[in-house]
Amino acid sequence: MRYTKVIRNVVVLAASVGLAGALCSSVGAAPRVQAIHSSSASPFVVASTSGVQKLDPDVVTNFVDFQALGLIYDQLVRYNKQLQFVPDLATSWAFSNGNRAITFQLRKNVTFDDGTSFTSANVVASIDRVLAPKTGDASASYISSVKTVVAKGPYSVEFVLSHPDSSILSGLTSVNLSMLSTKAIAAGTLATTPDGTGPYMFASWSPNNYLILTANPHYWGGKVKLASVKIEAIPTEQSIASAIEANTVQLGLLTEPEVAKTLSSYTVQNVLDLSYRALMLQDKTGPLANVNNRRALECAINRKQIVADSVFGQGQVVGPIPMGPFASNPVSAVCPNTNVAAAKRYLKAAGDPSGFTFTAITSVAIDPTSSAQAIAAQSELAQAGIKMNIENLATDAYIQDWLKGDFQACFAWNGANPDPYTMYGRYFGQGANLGVPAGYSSPALQKLLLQGDESSSASAQQKYYSELSANLTGNAVWVWLFTSYDYAVVGHGVNGFSFFPSLTDSLQTLSSTSVS
Amino acid sequence: MTDDGPAGAVAPAGRRLSGEGRARGLLFEVARRLASMVLTIFGVSIIVFLVLRLLPGNALTSALGVSEGLLTHAQLVALDHYYGIGEPVIQQYGSWLHAILTGNLGVSLQSRTSVASLVGTALPVTFELAIAAMLLGLLIGVLFGVFGALRPGRAVDVTGQGVSVIGLGVPSFVIGTGLVTLLASVFQYFPSSETFASLTSDPWLNIQQIFFPALTLSLGIGAAIMRTTRASVLEVVGQNYVRTARGKGLSRHSVTWKHIFLNAFIPVLTMSGIQLGYLLGGTVIVEQIFVLPGLGRLLVESINGRDFPVVQSVTTIFAAGFVVVNMVVDVLYAAIDPRIRNR
Repeated sequence: MRYTKVIRNVVVLAASVGLAGALCSSVGAAPRVQAIHSSSASPFVVASTSGVQKLDPDVVTNFVDFQALGLIYDQLVRYNKQLQFVPDLATSWAFSNGNRAITFQLRKNVTFDDGTSFTSANVVASIDRVLAPKTGDASASYISSVKTVVAKGPYSVEFVLSHPDSSILSGLTSVNLSMLSTKAIAAGTLATTPDGTGPYMFASWSPNNYLILTANPHYWGGKVKLASVKIEAIPTEQSIASAIEANTVQLGLLTEPEVAKTLSSYTVQNVLDLSYRALMLQDKTGPLANVNNRRALECAINRKQIVADSVFGQGQVVGPIPMGPFASNPVSAVCPNTNVAAAKRYLKAAGDPSGFTFTAITSVAIDPTSSAQAIAAQSELAQAGIKMNIENLATDAYIQDWLKGDFQACFAWNGANPDPYTMYGRYFGQGANLGVPAGYSSPALQKLLLQGDESSSASAQQKYYSELSANLTGNAVWVWLFTSYDYAVVGHGVNGFSFFPSLTDSLQTLSSTSVS
Repeated sequence: MTDDGPAGAVAPAGRRLSGEGRARGLLFEVARRLASMVLTIFGVSIIVFLVLRLLPGNALTSALGVSEGLLTHAQLVALDHYYGIGEPVIQQYGSWLHAILTGNLGVSLQSRTSVASLVGTALPVTFELAIAAMLLGLLIGVLFGVFGALRPGRAVDVTGQGVSVIGLGVPSFVIGTGLVTLLASVFQYFPSSETFASLTSDPWLNIQQIFFPALTLSLGIGAAIMRTTRASVLEVVGQNYVRTARGKGLSRHSVTWKHIFLNAFIPVLTMSGIQLGYLLGGTVIVEQIFVLPGLGRLLVESINGRDFPVVQSVTTIFAAGFVVVNMVVDVLYAAIDPRIRNR
């Protein structure tokens, strides 16, 4: 009996100590955690709601995959913060033969993580892999004009193009067109062991969970200050905020302004996202086939109100080309400001003076703000007599309807690009891959896109792309709404980080970031 | 009878069997349940497999989104082949079943890594979380249930009822989010946001990482167990054999735990089994909030990515877990209650 009681008492005591210890450790944890992350052994943790899903740079599509692999791989050219082209593994480039060829001079003394040197052979092998159908690289369409890639020596390579194509530089900034090691391509190991020339090297990976990188001691861009970086998935933004407060995360990537606001004692860097929201319209049949009905939509919708309602004012109203050297005027060519009277006039001109009814699809799973956008637009359109029904779809149903153009109107969150041809050639260009979901097509638009892409002078491109914007808004092809902010919350003691508005290189300054 | 004498747990049920008869009864029960378990898991695997194929979209749509429209016909053909899109359903099921039976579970379509390795990493986390939550839930439920029933209307009973209202009424994602936010903002403490440490690699960090999610889950479990325990104890406490035990001068401790609680235990065991089954589903949400790399999180990510081999394997494991828990509970019934064993 005594023995049983002793055992019971020991168990109760152990359980009590365990529970009490776990509770008490919460009170005394702050200095301990602080100490862990001030040591050089712990990685610098970057948190995002999504984990790294794939490692093959040619097939990634997830946002955080781009960001993480952008730290391992380099491209021939990249964008700087002003969205201008700057050298990466190509030190210079020149178009020739009426923009039908482009020659790159390559950086010397660059080595891959496997120890092999970067030469023109790597460029040829990398582009061949992108263009091979079995690779399944969605960005291959960016360089569809490439006929052949020819090595002109160990550090010079020429891209021969089927037609003049200035947008090719824009395509080459993508992680999907990274420069790869021929040894890794031959070994077939790119899906499991990244092998690049960037500031960080692959260390370990737990799919959808974390990716750990170590500093590349041979990085051509100079000494990398952080010894190790961990890209970690924390599934909710609220949990990311908590992890920043607990100092287990040093850099949090957020999209929700209300969560970013809660971290007022931290440095919150915001950049306009390289994407835009638009109300895409199918104008082949029904009331939206009439240009004046579409113009009525454009006049009736108060885009500032949509920004206020859907992203709490944390965004900017944009035109068809949201940013970059050819950014368009956000003011609509049809109605500079919201104008219900003008909307009614357009309805009258369309022969629908009492308005019309149409249905718009949204997907909250794809864009959590789309429902708020739709509800705001619905009430504004009602003032002009236009009835908009809203149909919210699950992710896959939305994607399938979108791809088939099986909608009247669609609240879309589309990727943007500083180069207008890269951005709209796929929607409105000749033989456009996404011509079906785009709906509208016209020879005038095709011509403007082609002229802009084939031009070699910036001023000529500016002219064509301004006309392109005016054409898109003048015909109310879609209603361009706004672009929102992305947020990087920087932990205390982190120096030198600057958030970039770029899909591939938004974390590029991690190569020069340090922790004090 | 002394304090250490045979428990009165099954005394009212009547006769006792010999050791051999008892073992034979148990073995028969286990064999019967094992056979039905295999059939159930097989049925679940077919249903899961078919439901996944009925959903709109596929792995390609999920991986590429609207960018699928940018692919050329040749690229689409190559990727369809890679993802196994267009293969007859029977053939797909056969391949998967073969993979399951050979133990490799196939390859993840998303990460191109072995499903067995993904599951092998995630399963111990969920298992540990479930066990910890169950133990905490039992602790909360049994203690408040027994003492609340013995002292109805007193402070311990009122406190227990309050905990049970919170546990049953507030969803675990609200409790979890509140707990995370409170600990992080007030104490700068969020241990599970650090890389998960196993019990063997860093026991102290592991306990901290598991404790709060387990506590979150245990409130709901504890509330259900507490209500059952309380009702069951209230029923037993007025029985003649309890009065007899008290009349014989046994200690309060002996009467409470050996004569009252053990006789009130069968409904508690049933409720615990049911709760453990639901607990497997509850881990899906709690693992998201507390950043635990367990099966629940793996399942959510795989469903989002239409990663069929992973979803099928994880769902089958959850189903197997549910069935095993039920089987263990049934066998325990038989072990505890001779009326069931001798049926």
